[in-house]
Amino acid sequence: MKLDLSNPAWQQTLPPGRPVAADAPTAACAFSKDGSTVAFALGDGRVRLLPADINAAETPAAEPLHGGAVLALVGDPAGDGFVSGGDDGRLLRIAADGTASEIADQKGKWFEHIAAHRATGAVAASAGKSAFVVKGGEVKEFGPHQSTVAGLDFSKDGSRIACAHYGGVTVWSIGQVTLPPRRFAWRGSHVALKWSTDGKFVATGTQENDIHVWRMAQATDMRMQGYPAKVKSLSWTADARFLYTSAQPVFTAWPFSGKGPEGKPPLQFGEEGAGLISVVAAHPAAEFVAGGYDSGELQLGDIKTRRSVVLKMADGSAVTCLAWSPDGYRLAVGNDAGTLLVLDLRR
Amino acid sequence: MAQPQIPVTVLTGYLGAGKTTLLNRILSEQHGKKYAVIVNEFGELGIDNDLVVNADEEVFEMNNGCICCTVRGDLIRIIEGLMKRKDKFDGILVETTGLADPGPVAQTFFTDDEVKARTRLDAIVTVVDAKHFLGQLEQGDEAEEQVAFADVILLNKTDLVSEDELKKVEGKIGSINRYARIFRTQKSQIELAAILDKGAFDLKRILEFEPDFLHHGHDHDHEEEVKSLSLTADRPVDPDRFQKWMGALLQLRGPDIFRSKGILAVDGAPRRYVYQGVHMMMDSDWGTPWKDGEKRSSKLVFIGRNLDGENLQRGFNDCLK
Ligand SMILES: [Zn+2]
Repeated sequence: MKLDLSNPAWQQTLPPGRPVAADAPTAACAFSKDGSTVAFALGDGRVRLLPADINAAETPAAEPLHGGAVLALVGDPAGDGFVSGGDDGRLLRIAADGTASEIADQKGKWFEHIAAHRATGAVAASAGKSAFVVKGGEVKEFGPHQSTVAGLDFSKDGSRIACAHYGGVTVWSIGQVTLPPRRFAWRGSHVALKWSTDGKFVATGTQENDIHVWRMAQATDMRMQGYPAKVKSLSWTADARFLYTSAQPVFTAWPFSGKGPEGKPPLQFGEEGAGLISVVAAHPAAEFVAGGYDSGELQLGDIKTRRSVVLKMADGSAVTCLAWSPDGYRLAVGNDAGTLLVLDLRR
Repeated sequence: MAQPQIPVTVLTGYLGAGKTTLLNRILSEQHGKKYAVIVNEFGELGIDNDLVVNADEEVFEMNNGCICCTVRGDLIRIIEGLMKRKDKFDGILVETTGLADPGPVAQTFFTDDEVKARTRLDAIVTVVDAKHFLGQLEQGDEAEEQVAFADVILLNKTDLVSEDELKKVEGKIGSINRYARIFRTQKSQIELAAILDKGAFDLKRILEFEPDFLHHGHDHDHEEEVKSLSLTADRPVDPDRFQKWMGALLQLRGPDIFRSKGILAVDGAPRRYVYQGVHMMMDSDWGTPWKDGEKRSSKLVFIGRNLDGENLQRGFNDCLK
């Protein structure tokens, strides 16, 4: 893995990439499990597929798959396609060729959040107050929770899911043996959730501009305050040593190795954007990170050297989604104006 | 990138007053506009289309521990979700259930930064059942509070009562909230332009309008009763002192003050300072410029319980230059 941000070429030209104008807000983007395809979830009901290879012929835009906006999208962990959720209440499995089949229909609700677990091939998706786990053709409901699920994620081994809602987080074991759910309470509305890559912590962003982290083993918790906006994007590094958070003008990473982040300031680096980071995505293997701004810029950083480069997107619309390819060499970016970008970062 | 703010109309009213009829009309009539309608009971509307969004009325308390500082979390998510659609809206209507307090809905639009960036609370419209309103007042606080929160009132089902009864109902509405604009309607028939996208809570009207609803002599003036009052000033307002006073007032008395709104002539400022609040939460902005030679006067309106007009006027006077 080599992305040398000190290479002077980074400062002079944008890395080679494929920009596509989709003309609808982008809610999410993802690479397929095999890394060959990128998909973007669009506000006109379309899921736009593009080849990950930026020199390959462009896939033409397909007909809308969802009735309203596509709200959530992941790479299908059980195939080479994708799984999408929409405000039409449908959860769809999309094959690599773009054909779709319905997994679930929750009419009147929105499928807003989806998580995928690579090793087990399971997908978890939330609609309204319930979460649904899809595995091997079976759909199992978990809930209802006290309020709408506002974020969900799998544990490292895929045996549990955590759901964020009012008043905290609920952790369900999703295996054959049904164990009672565990509740982790913290007052207020939790609006984003990510389980740490080592399985030890669950982090949430709250409506009141702070983040909350629970240690799963001890059920103890910590709160980090001082954000100027809601933290809606959280990303753990592959080695679980850092938790990146959005809602700051520079990269902001809380250290979770050793004694943890309590009583320490977060590690901050990178150039200040005009606005705040709206989406942050840690690299799948190395110490790199990508951040998209609500003011439209894209920044790449290296936490080891604290180097970073700022890449300007064509328009100033808020970056709404980022996804790294499984091999870590490509980056997909989408924004509120429907500019889709696939970058090849090999230099 | 700055986007236009979509006007939001909150629609309240007791069960059976005529909200559903009004919503069905807004969704089915040819008016050339596109409104998203957020409802609590999907099935109630006769129309099933993708502009209708089902909400769950999920109220949560802010972490400050105050009973009046409540927000609709489901609305925040729904507004954020609607903004992800390609097709944009001319307006958003939020229906509250018949017994709900409109406070949390309105406060949602003052609280969340993303919601504030994309939408603005345009008006609270309350549908009142002319035949049953006086009876509903006896059954609890809801009917009274819905009128107290209102910027616009549709006095509906006027065909079911006599002119005398109507006058009595209007008198009662006026004793609660003198500053709401009342439209008499039958079957919720109203020109939509009269209630939608009125702009900044119809604040201009507040300044110009001082109704003489003072003839409700038979009402005992209980402190506990909801009433409305206004404060005026002809000397310019000192913005720092005003902020301090209003902040402290809302902090202390917020739970009792349903609505506060005002237009201020700030010392040295070329434009009107307009503000509106619901309980403890408020929002303010610069309005239209004062014209040359125009009389620069200020006016504040409060609607709530336990309002002491003299005390409030004294406090306001201390904010003047
Ligand atoms: Zn309060």
